[in-house]
Amino acid sequence: MESRDLLMTTMGDLGDLTDPNAVMVGVGQLAVAKHPDYLVTQALGSCVGLSLYDPILKQGGLAHIMLPTPFDTVVNGHEHRFASTAVPMMVKMLSESGSMRRRLEAKIAGGAAMFRADTLLAQVGERNVEEAKRQLALLNIPIVAEDTGERHARTVELRLDSGAYVVRSYQYGVKRL
Amino acid sequence: MKFENLTPIQRDALREIGSIGAGHAATALSQLVDRQVELTAPELDIISFGEVPEVFGGPEQLVGAVYARFLGDISGGILFMAPRDSSLALMDQMHSRPTGTTKSFGHDEEALFTHVASILAAAFIAAVARMTDLNVLPSTPSFALDMAGAILEVATVEVGMKATSALMIRTGFWDKETTIDVALFFLPDPDSLETILGRLGIA
Repeated sequence: MESRDLLMTTMGDLGDLTDPNAVMVGVGQLAVAKHPDYLVTQALGSCVGLSLYDPILKQGGLAHIMLPTPFDTVVNGHEHRFASTAVPMMVKMLSESGSMRRRLEAKIAGGAAMFRADTLLAQVGERNVEEAKRQLALLNIPIVAEDTGERHARTVELRLDSGAYVVRSYQYGVKRL
Repeated sequence: MKFENLTPIQRDALREIGSIGAGHAATALSQLVDRQVELTAPELDIISFGEVPEVFGGPEQLVGAVYARFLGDISGGILFMAPRDSSLALMDQMHSRPTGTTKSFGHDEEALFTHVASILAAAFIAAVARMTDLNVLPSTPSFALDMAGAILEVATVEVGMKATSALMIRTGFWDKETTIDVALFFLPDPDSLETILGRLGIA
């Protein structure tokens, strides 16, 4: 079993969050933006950070997904927190701003089991990832990179100039997907 | 039960529940570290999901945390959390060593930290159970050392299907001589909230 002390890894500079070009995506929210802006969402645990990128228009979207699917009808304003509703909505928003669906590529991160001994919570992350992948498959959008599961938190950033998906964690430092 | 619809009397009652639970937990902690531990007046917060990651020193603050579910007549979660420094100071207190001796989290520290947290959680839950005359049992505690925002997700995931905000009853504990600063979050499920209020005669 690995040591759980995380002080030795450095998360690297998060970048300046007061930077006017940084678009912060909150829990259960989604946003689309165009270069030179970039999208950031912090502290994903069991939540999934799903990004879509259009390399031609240098624009993309990022969703901080909390749960896989709603039980029944979605209350207005809650659509963004579920994978089953957030993915189609983000694709629609991007296509309205000119990104054809077949140009989009997806990268996903998160879906960790923060409290591994709690089986109920541990499953939430897994199910979020599963549903996110299912939605992308339905829309025929390829997943080109992924950093999911395990038991650590992640902060992600979608750079819209290159489409790089930067994943930061105390466990592994900085990863570029 | 919608958290937003709680009346001022109901909020006071829940704060009181938190206060009594926290009092018992503070006594337990005082006994464990063998010195007086102070506690803050409990706060009852109804927080929109977007703000939940901010409530404990920012989303990326490195914290030690233990989460335990409670079940029986009422259900929900209880979350014990401390910044990394405080978590290490707490370990020193447990070993009666000067603060700063424990420098990192290994398996022993993880086990001891979880143990302390589960004693506090059990003291809290027992006080709530006694006051409401309900059967409540804590489940196996689970440990994490990571970003506060990701850990606080437990408060939102459980209620995320129905609610737009989370109810948190938060108490802080600290020790004058050292730098221990920990927080305990009591997170009852919406349905259980009704049961608790019903037991107190103010549903």
